[in-house]
Amino acid sequence: MSAVTFSSVTKRYKDGPKAVDSLDLDIADGEFMVFVGPSGCGKSTALRMLAGLEEITDGELRIDDKVVNDLPPGDRDIAMVFQNYALYPHMTVRENIGFALEVAKMPKAEAKKRVDDAAEMLGLTEYLDRLPKALSGGQRQRVAMGRAIVRSPKVFLMDEPLSNLDAKLRVQMRSDIIQLQARLGTTMVYVTHDQVEAMTMGHRVAVLRNGVLQQVAPPQELYLRPANLFVAAFIGSPSMNLMRGRVTVDDGVVGVSFAEHRLVLAPGAVERYPGLLDRSGTEVIVGIRPEHFAMEGDADVGPDSVMEVEVNLAEAMGAEVHIHAELDVPPASIDPSLVDPGVDPEALPVDKTLLIARVDGVHTVAMGQRVRLAVKTHLLHFFDPQTGAPLR
Amino acid sequence: MSVKRKGPRATATRVATYALLVTVAIIVLFPFVVAVSTSLKRNTDIFTYPPSLVPRTETTVTDPERGLDNATVYVLPDEEGRFALVEADVPIAEFRRLDDPGVIIARPPTDGVETDRTTVVDGDEETVYLLEVDGEEVEVYRARLTVGGRFEPLDGDGASVVTLVNLATPDRVFGPRFENFSEVVTEKNLGRSLTNTMLVTMAVVVGQIVTSILGGYAFARIDFKGRDQLFLMYLGSVMIPFVVLIIPLFQLMLQLGWTDNLVALIVPFMFTAYGTFLMRQFFLGIPKEIEEAALIDGASRATILWKVMVPLARPAIATLATFGFLYAWNSFFWPLVIINSGNPDNGLLTLTLSTLGGRSSTDTNLVFAGAVLAMTPPILVFLFAQRYFVENSASSGLK
Amino acid sequence: MTDPTTMERDTATVGGAQAEKGMTPGLRLVFFWHIVGAAAAVVMMLLASRTGDEELPATIGIFLRFFAIASFVAHAAAAFGVAQRRRWGRTVSLVVNYLTFVVAVVAVVHQLGGFTGIGKLGTGFSKAFVPFLVIAVGLIWVLVAGQIAANKPAARGPKQLRKAGWVIAGLGFVWFVIAADPSGMLSTFFERIVQPVTIASLVLAIASLAATRFMWQRDVGRVFGTTASTERALTGLAFLSPNLLGFLFFFAGPVIFSLVVSFYDWKTTGTSRSFVGVDNYIQALSIDVATSPTANAGGEVLNSGYQVLMHLDWFGQHWVLGARDVTFWLSLRNILIFLVLAVPLAVLPALFLSSILASQLRGIKVFRAIYFIPSVAGVIGVAIIWGQLFQSTVGWINYIIKRAGDILPFVDAPAEGQAWLSSNSTALLAMVIVFAWMSFGFNTVLYLAGHQGIPKELYEAAEIDGARTWKIFRRITVPQLRNTTFYVLITTSILALQLFDIVWILSTPQPGGPDNATMTPVIALYNEAFKQNNRGYASALAWVLFAIVFVFTFAQFRRERDGATGGMA
Repeated sequence: MSAVTFSSVTKRYKDGPKAVDSLDLDIADGEFMVFVGPSGCGKSTALRMLAGLEEITDGELRIDDKVVNDLPPGDRDIAMVFQNYALYPHMTVRENIGFALEVAKMPKAEAKKRVDDAAEMLGLTEYLDRLPKALSGGQRQRVAMGRAIVRSPKVFLMDEPLSNLDAKLRVQMRSDIIQLQARLGTTMVYVTHDQVEAMTMGHRVAVLRNGVLQQVAPPQELYLRPANLFVAAFIGSPSMNLMRGRVTVDDGVVGVSFAEHRLVLAPGAVERYPGLLDRSGTEVIVGIRPEHFAMEGDADVGPDSVMEVEVNLAEAMGAEVHIHAELDVPPASIDPSLVDPGVDPEALPVDKTLLIARVDGVHTVAMGQRVRLAVKTHLLHFFDPQTGAPLR
Repeated sequence: MSVKRKGPRATATRVATYALLVTVAIIVLFPFVVAVSTSLKRNTDIFTYPPSLVPRTETTVTDPERGLDNATVYVLPDEEGRFALVEADVPIAEFRRLDDPGVIIARPPTDGVETDRTTVVDGDEETVYLLEVDGEEVEVYRARLTVGGRFEPLDGDGASVVTLVNLATPDRVFGPRFENFSEVVTEKNLGRSLTNTMLVTMAVVVGQIVTSILGGYAFARIDFKGRDQLFLMYLGSVMIPFVVLIIPLFQLMLQLGWTDNLVALIVPFMFTAYGTFLMRQFFLGIPKEIEEAALIDGASRATILWKVMVPLARPAIATLATFGFLYAWNSFFWPLVIINSGNPDNGLLTLTLSTLGGRSSTDTNLVFAGAVLAMTPPILVFLFAQRYFVENSASSGLK
Repeated sequence: MTDPTTMERDTATVGGAQAEKGMTPGLRLVFFWHIVGAAAAVVMMLLASRTGDEELPATIGIFLRFFAIASFVAHAAAAFGVAQRRRWGRTVSLVVNYLTFVVAVVAVVHQLGGFTGIGKLGTGFSKAFVPFLVIAVGLIWVLVAGQIAANKPAARGPKQLRKAGWVIAGLGFVWFVIAADPSGMLSTFFERIVQPVTIASLVLAIASLAATRFMWQRDVGRVFGTTASTERALTGLAFLSPNLLGFLFFFAGPVIFSLVVSFYDWKTTGTSRSFVGVDNYIQALSIDVATSPTANAGGEVLNSGYQVLMHLDWFGQHWVLGARDVTFWLSLRNILIFLVLAVPLAVLPALFLSSILASQLRGIKVFRAIYFIPSVAGVIGVAIIWGQLFQSTVGWINYIIKRAGDILPFVDAPAEGQAWLSSNSTALLAMVIVFAWMSFGFNTVLYLAGHQGIPKELYEAAEIDGARTWKIFRRITVPQLRNTTFYVLITTSILALQLFDIVWILSTPQPGGPDNATMTPVIALYNEAFKQNNRGYASALAWVLFAIVFVFTFAQFRRERDGATGGMA
């Protein structure tokens, strides 16, 4: 049984573009679903429609098989944690957590027991009589969670709940939330712009772009079998290297060349992308994840799977080294700002493509040095340059 | 200005700055000091020259040995020490020197020795008298016969002096007259005006708070069609000065039968566009998520307003209450129009004061006691609510 | 009641039908209720036209007829909409019922003398002043304890304290009721509540309240296929309604009425209520200029109906300026002079003082508070004080001038005390002084807010550049405060244009005196409206004054809209 069903749900603001465009999605009972995407992709709008905080322009939204389009938030049997926690500043932790129960006129004794249990579970017992302003960021975050779990709702909604925490605490809270969800078994819809969070937390991840759902899949599948160029570029950090290349099929041996480089593909690649065989002599977009490079010698590949590049920049991260190099090919036609909002597309070079390779940290690489990189060609991705669809 | 400097030049600047600030503070406070002092004075003490800030009282002396019973103490010109007025209505003559008619010499008529000479003053013929002044015999004429007082010296054993009472100044010492306050409250009906003003002010403040909270919340947080047009109408309303409203509002009160009734001062003023803005602005400043969280917690709009928004809006409500208080307490024009000033039951402080202190006022001390009573509450409220008031008058330009 | 969560969207009609089941009798009742309402409106319309102008004042007759027509249309529409289960039907029904409820409640309170009874409450208050103070103390106690409780939420003490405060207030209230002796009020209450009109209003109030509550239910909304935005609009209007109804009834309505009246010859004495077009405005604004050979020509050189306003000797000619309403024009001249003198006096010191107060000297807050006091103390008290200060024989102003004359050779104190308020030449100046004294503190605070918007780096940079204090003030402070200055000038001018209270108390021998030397437009308006009872003409004066004030408000509005407010307003 589905806990939440989006059927062609559309949100259009007055005189604006569609914030969410005909979203179809089933979320199973007890599932941890993550909405991820760059800012403005509609993930928060989708969540807020689910919460009842935004009106649904078109389509139908069900919770537990009941249409909730016109149901006010309080009647939807949901609970939500906000990015800024939205604690009631004038109420103590106890009053904050118990507010929903008070509104629902639950008997005082039972309400107290529930609040105490929730506080116990979240380690908030000693802070119950404090005001939110006397709490740390992490504690406030937990109060917000407590406010959600005390109601034992049908669905938890979380809108970037960790983005206001510092990096260390974020990792801690991440695992706490995963464990909490596992223990309670409640359906969770979690919105984040951070693909690491999405990959580590979700049972399934829904990637959105410009209001359109790109792919829904378990994290590993998103990584291995991206549904399109956008998902491929969005998932993974640093993101996948994408460049235009030409396919050559010569007696069943498939090769791909870009700039001065030519790689012969291992059979695995063709198995995963059989469409390559029909593309002989045409241009495709080649995707190489940075981690699928290695220094020649570290990986067991043949000499025709090696490319030599000049190092522009070498970032030593300890366990690994990120090698930046420039290729003399035009960049793949995907708006880079969608992947990394900090990038100004105008400022990027038009005839060069940046390549990033992650190699083992034992190597010392200097700027200007020429290195030979082995490519694990069976893990490459190929996309149609016009549609961005994978060549499967 | 923000850079701190030291040294003699900086010290001099600082001293000069404080001197200026203190001077202005004196200019501001002096009228209030005068008011307080006048409110504690006797009426006779107010119209004396030079003006004085010290409330003074006339002294009396009771000394059965000398036959003095509650006799007023005076200081006499040209005589040392204090004197008690022991006998009024003593016949007295006003003599004037022939060579210096500007000086009045008041003596018992018998002091002057009549001569057979005469002199002409302003066309009238006057008999010349001889009078001993400072041990010297001078020629005088008798300007008029009148009555004066006989003054007994209190210090030493000098002879008693007979002179005009208005030449003598009562010997005044510090003595505030607190009865002014009780008298103005009871005798001048200011007590009733005070209660009426309190009643009206309280009702207006409570009414304004309620309507402004409800309206401000709707304008800030509940999005509906036509809301922004309505808000624009409210915004435009502050451009219309109150004088435009006076006549139609009077006519309306006439139709409702509310003239000369306190209700006319309350009900029309429970709705305030300013207060609605103030609350709207404050509610807009409360993060939207807090309200959304409450919606998800299942609270209705009314519950949210009462349990979440209002507790958070305390500073804004305090500001609104202060503004409302000052406005209602000090309002004058509309009460003047709608309340019959002859009806003692519906008096307000401002109205009663303006009638009392009007052009033909006689009991100046009582008027000032009333004025002090009327001004104290708003000043106290301002001092207590200063924090909110100063901030908000500055940020919203309310007046 | 059906469980709202069992409703399904794709079976909206079925769901509606399900909801319908429980609701049909209620909705039928509401339908009949609106039919009755429409019928009652027709009866009211007939009654209003029958009684007409003889028994009822004309305005009430017009109002009643309008009200009857509007309620007929609304009830009929509501009945139709409810019967047809239209979405707007519920909205109309709710609005009609709610408004009926409000009107009925107001009628009940009116019938019971609740409004005019507030006046009588004053009697109770004065009788029970001490218990009233006890109530006040109790409530303040509650507030203070609440404040403590808000800061220390865990402590039990403040909560107990707050309870104690409520107990004190409650006991005070009981005492108050006993002392105020409401028996007279109660007997009036019972006397009036049995009157048929009261009972009818009461029944109407209860019925319309019941209908409102019934129609408000979400399940009923579902029958009508309501949407979230409709629900929100209804909620918003419900919250706004007390404010909005008051606004319409006591502000918008009167403003329109005032505009209408200004085109009538509307006198309260006699029955003349004739439409005169813009005659009132012409009467108010007409002026006439003539030259005359003699220096002090009278009104004979002017057109008939005009009186001499002033004589001018310009360009070797004697000019006579005349107006139809000399008093109003004199008041305009006065207020213009007042504006020119008082506004700079109220603004410039504020500009200087705020610059000093903006620096971080010790004790600034004390001075700021002191400077503010005149603007909150209440204009009547202040005017009374200044009346005494301006007193010609024993007043402090003359005394200080005389003492200054003794010390300073250039101060020429008149031997006889200056009669400030009763002399034509100084009366207006006295008003200027009082107004400036009252206003500058408030303006100082406005300027202080403006100062907060000036970046501190500007001063630091100027100091490093070696600029002296005066130069910094001239070249940085003043230009940076341009927007604040504009705002302060405008608000002070608007206040000055409506000058009334100060003059009312201080001018002698009658308001606006001596010889109209302190006559202001508002006093002229007051005299026309409430002494001469020319309400139509006075309304026209009010709108002329509005036009003048509007020049200033519009300037401010434009500037604000252009975003040049610098953090003000």
